[in-house]
Amino acid sequence: MNKWAEDWFEFKGWKPYPFQRNTWKAIAGGYSGLLNAPTGCGKTYAIWFGVLADHQKRYAGKKKRSGLHCLWITPLRALSKEILNATTTVSEDLDLPYTIGLRTGDTSAAERARQKRQWPEALITTPESVHIMMSQKGYADAFKDLQFVVIDEWHELLGSKRGVLVELALSMLKQINPQLKIWGISATIGNIDEARNILLGAEHPHATMIRANIVKKTLIETVLPDTLEKFPWAGHLGIRLAEKILPIIDASHSTLIFTNTRSQAEIWYQHLLQVHPDLAGAIALHHGSLGEEIRQWVEEALHQGTLKAVVCTSSLDLGVDFRPVDTVIQVGSAKGVARFLQRAGRSGHHPGATSRIYFVPTHSLEIMEGSALRYAAGHQMIESRLPYIRSFDVLIQFMVTLAVSDGFRADELFEQVRQTHCYASVTRKEFDECLLMITRGGRMLEAYDEFHKVVAEDGLYKVTDRRIAMRHRLSIGAIVSDVMMQVKFLGGKYLGSIEEWFISRLQPEDSFWFAGRNLELVRVKDMQAIVRPSGKKKGIVPSWMGGRLPLSSYLTDALRHKLNEARQQVKDRELDFLQPLFEEQKRRSYLPAEQELLIEKVWTKEGCHLFVYPFEGKFVHEGMAAIIAYRLGRIRPFSFSMAMNDYGFELLSDQDIPVEEALLQELFSTDNLSADIAGSINTTEMARRKFRDIAGIAGLVFQGYPGKQVKARHLQANSGLFFKVFQDYDPDNLLLKQAYEEVYDFQLEIVRMRQAFERISTHEVILKQPEQLTPFAFPIFAEVFREKFSNESLEDRMNKLKAQLEQEEPKHGDRTGKRRR
Amino acid sequence: MEIVLGNAVVELLPQRAIYLLQHSLLVIADLHLGKGMHFRKAGIFIPPGSAEKDYTVLHELMLRYRPRKVWFLGDLFHSVHNSDWLLLQAFILAYPDVHFVLIRGNHDILAPEHYTALSIDVVPERLVLGDLVFSHEPLEHIASGKVNVAGHIHPGCLLRGLGRQSLRLPCFYLYEQILLLPAFGALTGLYLMEMTKRASIFAVLPERIVLL
Repeated sequence: MNKWAEDWFEFKGWKPYPFQRNTWKAIAGGYSGLLNAPTGCGKTYAIWFGVLADHQKRYAGKKKRSGLHCLWITPLRALSKEILNATTTVSEDLDLPYTIGLRTGDTSAAERARQKRQWPEALITTPESVHIMMSQKGYADAFKDLQFVVIDEWHELLGSKRGVLVELALSMLKQINPQLKIWGISATIGNIDEARNILLGAEHPHATMIRANIVKKTLIETVLPDTLEKFPWAGHLGIRLAEKILPIIDASHSTLIFTNTRSQAEIWYQHLLQVHPDLAGAIALHHGSLGEEIRQWVEEALHQGTLKAVVCTSSLDLGVDFRPVDTVIQVGSAKGVARFLQRAGRSGHHPGATSRIYFVPTHSLEIMEGSALRYAAGHQMIESRLPYIRSFDVLIQFMVTLAVSDGFRADELFEQVRQTHCYASVTRKEFDECLLMITRGGRMLEAYDEFHKVVAEDGLYKVTDRRIAMRHRLSIGAIVSDVMMQVKFLGGKYLGSIEEWFISRLQPEDSFWFAGRNLELVRVKDMQAIVRPSGKKKGIVPSWMGGRLPLSSYLTDALRHKLNEARQQVKDRELDFLQPLFEEQKRRSYLPAEQELLIEKVWTKEGCHLFVYPFEGKFVHEGMAAIIAYRLGRIRPFSFSMAMNDYGFELLSDQDIPVEEALLQELFSTDNLSADIAGSINTTEMARRKFRDIAGIAGLVFQGYPGKQVKARHLQANSGLFFKVFQDYDPDNLLLKQAYEEVYDFQLEIVRMRQAFERISTHEVILKQPEQLTPFAFPIFAEVFREKFSNESLEDRMNKLKAQLEQEEPKHGDRTGKRRR
Repeated sequence: MEIVLGNAVVELLPQRAIYLLQHSLLVIADLHLGKGMHFRKAGIFIPPGSAEKDYTVLHELMLRYRPRKVWFLGDLFHSVHNSDWLLLQAFILAYPDVHFVLIRGNHDILAPEHYTALSIDVVPERLVLGDLVFSHEPLEHIASGKVNVAGHIHPGCLLRGLGRQSLRLPCFYLYEQILLLPAFGALTGLYLMEMTKRASIFAVLPERIVLL
C-alpha cells in the first residue's frame, strides 16, 4: 500500500491500475525490475511513487537533505521535460520536500554548478549526460547516496550503442553503491526477458518483471489512390496521396503525420500547404534538426490541441503523450511491426480508447505492406531489439571518460565491465589492446612517438593534457552525425542545424527549404549559415543521411505470406486493389509462389540487369547481392553496381551475366557460405561505412559541435581516410575488427541471412528474361543508393570507362569551384 | 606522360608529381608530411606507418630523376612542429646537392628557422620559371601566355560508365591557364572536379597517367 500514491490518485480522481500497485509493492520490497507498459497509461507514476516512498522511509524526520537519490534516464530531451513536469506536479500537490532537477545537453553551466552545490533528490537526464558527469572530478561523491536508477524507454536504447552507454554507466553506479535498485520501462518487444537481464545484470538477486497487460485496440487503414494505373511504381515521397489525407485531418481533432526522413517531412509540410493553403497556421513541422525553441513550441501547441496536424519524424516517436492527438498517419513503410504500432499508439491515449493509424504507401507494391502490417499485428509478431556486444569504440570512450575525471585502475575496470552484457566476452588481451590504444596509440611503437592521450601513474590511468580532456568531454556520446552547421536568421534567431556538406553546395542567394520555410542563404561564417526569409516558391530540400532501416523479418514474413495469398486471390482490400499490378507482373514475367525464387534478367541501355526477389528486407538483400556478385566474380572478373530494396536486389553489369539455371542454384547454395560472406564483405563498402560511427565514438574523428567552436585546427580528416590507413598499416586493429563484426550482426543480419539462404536453397528458381522492366523490378531499378563490387583490375576498369567516355558526351560533373583545404 | 605548357615540357608522373627535364626540376604539391604524428600528438591513435610510404616514394623519385632542384608547392609539413620533422630532416639531408624550395601553403605554419636549418628556401607566394608560374593556391590573375601550376585543391575525378560503374581517381587537372597537381601525401583526400570537355583531365593510375 503506497499511501501517497493512493491519496494522490484519489485527489486526481483516478484509479490506479493493478500494474501500478504491483510496481509500488515490488519497489517497497527492495526489488529491481523491468516494467513492461505502453506509453500513456501511467508508467511514470508506477515507478515514481515507489521511489518517493523509499525516500520517505529513509529520510523522514531527518533534517539533512538526502543528496541525489534517483537518476531518471530518458532517451530524448523532449521526454525529460515531460517527466520533470509530471514528477514536479506530484511534489507540489503533496507538498513533498523532494526536488527534481534536469540535466541534459541544454542545461546551462550555471545550473549545473548549482546542482553540484546541492544536488536535487532526483535528476532527469540522458545516457550521454550521465557519462559527462562521470568525466567530472569527484563524480563518485555525487552518486554516493543514489538509491535508484530508472531507465525509461529501455527498448529504444537497447538496440543502439546508447544502450551500451547505459550498461557502462550502471556498472559504475553499482560499483559505487552495490545496493542500487535499477528499474527499466519498456514497451513490448520480442526479447523482453533478455532486455531485463541486460539491464539488471544476469545475476541480479532481486529482479522482477511487471507487465501492464493493457491491450490497446489499433485500427489500421491503408490510404489507397483512386486508380492503380496512375500510381507510380517507384518512389519514396508519397505526396501524390496528400490530397487523400486532407479529409482524414479534417475529420480528426489532431493528427500526427509520421515520415521516415527529415527531408520527407519538409517536403510533405510544403506540399500540404500547397494543396490546402487554409492549413497555414494549423499545421506544423517537427524533426530532430530543428531548433529546441521551435520543437518546444510545436510540442506545447500539441498539448494545447491548437494544431490540426504536425508532420514529424521519429522525433515524436517516443514517450510524450499528446492527449488531443486522435489520429496517426504513417507515410511510407514503417519498416517494422513494433515501430508501426508504437506510432499508432501516439493516438488515443485515454484508457480504453482505440488507436487509429492510416498507412500512406509511396509506391504501388508498398500498398501490400498495409495488409502485411495488419496480419503481423494480428499475430502479435513483435520484433526483438538486437543488443550491441563487444563495442570497443564505446569502451575506449568510457576509459578516456574515467581517465579525464578521477582515473581508473585496469584490473578493477576490467572486472567491472565484464559484468555487463556488452563486454561479458571481452578477453583481458582485448581489454589490454584498448588500453594500448589510449596510452601508446596502438600496438606499434615508433621512434620519437609523441602519442600520449592517457598516461599511467602508479597504475592509475589519467589524462593530463587539458586540451585532450576538453575535447573528450565534448565528444562523449554514441550518436555520430556529420559536421553540422547552425542555421540562423540575420537577427540571430536559431532555426536548427543542417549537415555542412549540404550548405557547402549552396552559393549565397541560393534558396532552400528548411523548418518549413523558404530561406535564402546570405553567408556562411564560422559554422553558421546566415539566412533570410525568401519569397521564392522554389528551392532545394536538404536531404539528411540515415534512415535506411530494413523491413523487419516479421514484416517480410508477413509480406511473403500476403504475396502468396495474392497469387491465390484471397480476398483482401489491399491485395484486391493491387491485382492489376500482379497481372502485369505475370504478363511481363512471373508471379512467384511461396516455394519459388523469381530471378529476372533484363537488358537496358545501362547494361545487363539481374533482379532477384527474396523478399527478405534491404539489409539481407545487400549481403546477398554482395555474395552473389562475389560468386559470379569467380567465374570471371566483373564489376557490378548493386541496388536493393526490401523486396529484392539488382546486380547490374556492363557485360552479360551468365545465368543458366543450374548455375543459379549454385549461386544461392549454402555451401561455403561463411567463406564467401567474408570474401564479399572485403570487396564492398559495408565495413567502411560502419567504421564511420566507430571512428567517431572512439575519438578518432573529432566533430566539434554546432555552436561550440572548439579549436581543432588541422585535425579534420574523414573516417574513410582513417579506414584506409588502418587497413593498410594496422589490419588487426580491434576497432577495424569491430567494424566487420557490426557488418555481420547489424548490416547483413547474419543469422537472418543464413536462414534466408537456407530457405531459398529449398526453393525452385524461376528464371525469366522479360523484354521490359517489371513492376517488381522498377522500384529497385530506381534506387539511387548503390553498392559496388569489382574484381576487375583498376587498369581494365579504367580502360573500359575511358573507351565509353570517348563514345559519348561527358556527363555533367558533381561539383565545381574551389574550396579551402 | 609528357605535356607542353608554354615553353616548358612537363612530365606528369604517376607518383603524383611533375618533372621538368630541361630545368632538372621536380615539383610536388600538398605532401602533408607529419600529419599522422600531428593527429597522434592530439591523442588520435591513427596507426603510424603512412609516413614511411610517403618517404619511400620521395626517395624513389629522387633516385630515378636525380633533380637538381625540388620545389614543394605548399603544405609540405602538416601544421605545428612534431617529431616527424626528424623524418623530413633525414630526407632533406640525404640530398645535400639538391636545392629545395617551399612555396608556403596554408598548412605551413612553422617558424622560418626550421626551414633555414635544413637549407630549405621558403617563398611566400609564387615562383616564376619561363612561362610557368608556381603557387600553392591557384592564382586569380594570370598574365596571358603564362600557365599557373598550383596545388591546394587535391583534385580528383569521378569516371562514370555503363552499368552505373564509377571510379574515383586523383588527377592532374588542366583548365585554361591553370594546371592543378594532385596531392602527394598518403594522408590526403580527394576533391572531385568538374568533368568538363574544356578541361584536360589526366587520371593517375598506380603505374601510369591516362588522359581522359
